[in-house]
Amino acid sequence: MARRVAVVGAGMTKFVRRAQETGKELAWEASRAALDSCELTLDDVDAVCLTSAPDAFDGVHMKGEYLSDGAGAFGKPFIRTYVGGGSGVFTAIQAWYTVASGMADVVLAVAEEKMSSTQPHPQGAFLTIFDNVLERPLGPNLLWIFALEMNRYMSVYDLDKRDIAQIAVKNKRNAAGHPAALLGQSDITVEDVLGSETLAWPVQRLDVSPISDGAVAVVVASEEAARRITDRPVWIDGVGWNLDTTYWTNRDLVFPEYVANAARMAYDMAGVTEPRKQIHIAEPYDPFDYKELHHLEGLLLFEPGKAPEAARDGVLNRDGDLPSCPSGGLLGVGNPIAAAGLMKIAELYWQLRGDAGERQVPGTPERGVAQAWGDLMQVGTVVVMGRDGVSRSSGSSPPATSDTVAATSLPVVQTPPYATAGHPLSDAQFRGAVGAVDHAVDARYEWDAGVAVGRFLDGLAEGRILGRECRGCGRVLVPPRMFCERCFRATDSWVDVRHSGSVETFSICHVAWDMTPLDEPQLPAVISIDGSDGGFLHVLGEVAPDDVRVGMAVEAVWKPEVERTGSILDIAYFRPRATGD
Amino acid sequence: MEPRVAVVGIGHAGFAPITAGVSYKELMFEAAQRAYFDAGVDPRTGVDSFVCCSEDFLEGTSIFDEYVPDQLGAVQRPVQTVAGDGLFGFVTALMLIRSGIASVVAVEAHSKVSDVRSLGAIEAFALDPVLNRPLGISTLNVAGLEMNAFLERTGLSEEHCAMVASKNRTNALDNPRAAYPAHLSVEDVDDSTPVSWPLRDLEVARRADGCVVMVLASEERARQLTEAPVWILGAGWASSSPSLESRLWGHAESTTRAAEMAYRLADVGDPAEEIDLAEVDDVYAFRELEHLEALGIATGPELASLLEAGDLDIGGEMSVNASGGSIGQGNLFEANGLVRVLECVEQLRGEAGERQVDEAYVAVAQSARQVPSTSSAVVILANDAGAGG
Repeated sequence: MARRVAVVGAGMTKFVRRAQETGKELAWEASRAALDSCELTLDDVDAVCLTSAPDAFDGVHMKGEYLSDGAGAFGKPFIRTYVGGGSGVFTAIQAWYTVASGMADVVLAVAEEKMSSTQPHPQGAFLTIFDNVLERPLGPNLLWIFALEMNRYMSVYDLDKRDIAQIAVKNKRNAAGHPAALLGQSDITVEDVLGSETLAWPVQRLDVSPISDGAVAVVVASEEAARRITDRPVWIDGVGWNLDTTYWTNRDLVFPEYVANAARMAYDMAGVTEPRKQIHIAEPYDPFDYKELHHLEGLLLFEPGKAPEAARDGVLNRDGDLPSCPSGGLLGVGNPIAAAGLMKIAELYWQLRGDAGERQVPGTPERGVAQAWGDLMQVGTVVVMGRDGVSRSSGSSPPATSDTVAATSLPVVQTPPYATAGHPLSDAQFRGAVGAVDHAVDARYEWDAGVAVGRFLDGLAEGRILGRECRGCGRVLVPPRMFCERCFRATDSWVDVRHSGSVETFSICHVAWDMTPLDEPQLPAVISIDGSDGGFLHVLGEVAPDDVRVGMAVEAVWKPEVERTGSILDIAYFRPRATGD
Repeated sequence: MEPRVAVVGIGHAGFAPITAGVSYKELMFEAAQRAYFDAGVDPRTGVDSFVCCSEDFLEGTSIFDEYVPDQLGAVQRPVQTVAGDGLFGFVTALMLIRSGIASVVAVEAHSKVSDVRSLGAIEAFALDPVLNRPLGISTLNVAGLEMNAFLERTGLSEEHCAMVASKNRTNALDNPRAAYPAHLSVEDVDDSTPVSWPLRDLEVARRADGCVVMVLASEERARQLTEAPVWILGAGWASSSPSLESRLWGHAESTTRAAEMAYRLADVGDPAEEIDLAEVDDVYAFRELEHLEALGIATGPELASLLEAGDLDIGGEMSVNASGGSIGQGNLFEANGLVRVLECVEQLRGEAGERQVDEAYVAVAQSARQVPSTSSAVVILANDAGAGG
């Protein structure tokens, strides 16, 4: 059986909009703070686990290699794992299996992100997350997919924007006392969020955590080593991760099934059978405010659609029954992507030791869950952590309540070790700095569309929408593929599907990828195609933005035949269709 | 190294200069199907965890992790990306199984480098942005610097490096999957254009597309799944200095460290004696020699006489890159590490056909990440006979 594994130290830099430090320097500062916190040196570390989100942020190919010495990896076993936005929590999972497997006793896990290097806007790194053949020609940006998912969630559960905005308020208020936070604000209100600029309806500026620079590190150790290092280890009791299909337009975005799968995996391992009772602190991933609600449901802490109600009732507040993002989360502390995920692990470590200072959750929280999310709304990473002495043996213990606070609050013995690094630079300082180097990568590609999508594109040129039928599960796959991902067998035949469908979800986007305003808003939508079990991303036309509804019947408007080139753009757009025909 | 883990299934696809008309997804699907068939597992129910290896800039996609699950049968399953060479994914699979969180793990790596239109620029994008890039140097320059330092230190000659290129292209003639088999003499290599002296054109592995998928299993599951498990006796991996300014030029330092770890775990005391064949990184011909030295198989002067005596050839004292290596099979970038394991597994199973090495019981596979980085991994593999039953 696997060895028990604990977190024994943690450190972080300040999260800032643009750091003076390089990525390597940020990684070093966080690593040093984490090692200092448990009085270890690099000589005590057997292996290094690193994570960081797209290489395009730092503007370095193989950036894990580039960052490695800053993360203390010189001469040591070193691997960079990478699951998009899920990476920060995943690197704690990586540290767990590196120790649990017996390959190392003490591991340094480091998450770094320096987003500010990307010009003119870090969102540029996300332009290439989309399918290179079917989606990129439409010019999608990152806000689209968040807006599409948020709208689906709000539409299905008939939620008001206030239900969503209250999360941004809670988290920015929670971060007010956080020494490393970029966005703490004790007096922010729901009206402030509702009054902020609309970027891609329903997403407004204060619904979003902004781009940031920063790094976080934790020290992870085997039971034997942990007992030697500290008298208060915090155990990693459960880990889970899960990746859903690439074809996000074929899924119902209303519920993150992949997060639920990852949560079940982690809970099973931790012996958690009733998560709502046995989890006392949650750090769900909150790059956008609705995501926290979405993820609390995915973590099986609330029924689908019920997290907003809990938020309204104060359940998620720091002194509530299930404090959620007591750190302040990404919305409050900041969002250097991978680092923000590992920050959630560090927060649970501090909270479960009673070291969280002003942010300390009252009562005697015994067990917490941290979660991150990423890729194309597709990956869930989950870690369950438990306080020493109760971990794994207290499966049925009652949750902490505010009634028990006075008698049993944990003593606050130290303030968390934050690095002083993370020096903010203004734009002017950055432009004027010696050694600021401009470099544009010459990155050119020519992708093979492949057999399935190649035929699909040929079909579009002919004015046909083609799907592939799988006789194993009976589905008609659009976009088509030569394999069925569910049955894992070759698909069987080509099928002409209809040129009509319905709006699964949509957004009204007012900004380009670099945040410059658009003259005319774009109307991206996921279209479910009639006669198939799938659909794809496209745009709407011949309709006023205010008239678009989820579920609306639409039809393809084709370009004239002579203008078609075998591209997703051979369909000019989808327009409303009179129903009943 | 207890508990033991074995390779129970291998599959590959591609291995060609260009795989036109086929997408990377379709390439992966083909390799995965073969690996699962070989292992006798259904990925939808019989594989607990999936590890993919890729780097974003080689794919032209930010967060390439997004595009892997469907064609591997991994939808709604635990899947992760290792941003690195396949051999790091391989040791990750090993750790997942040893940790007890998985019994059967699939690991995948591929190259669809024919999609990349500006490869040199992307490779150079791995250099330090502030200190190195303004100099306008290429990764070939870095390899040339490394080669010159290595030859200076060891006294090995340019001709010895040419002998490696000639041997590997010739070995590839007996490898049906190799993309670049050729009858190539030492003189042919020596006469080829210097691309960054002393490095010559024919000493640089040509790029190729391809995919390798492997299935690893715990000892218990391995015994159920196959009669010819290939055991992982030891594994090691290490990083060295990523910066050009502070590395030890002419030494494969990270391979030395990775080998020490792997030998310790595998209880290998005398690698030259105990190992029967080696598949090592030869993306640049001189690196085969540099890596053999770091693996403790021979010193510089010894390598010269081994090469001259043909002792590194198939049928020699220690067959090195019987597959043809990267020079013979093609440079599959992040898949190179798994390509080396693939050959070891075929050899240890006795399935290597015309290039079969006699008495193959214990093998070493080594991989180094692409220049300018300095990370390496080493695994020691054995069949039942080599593992002591």
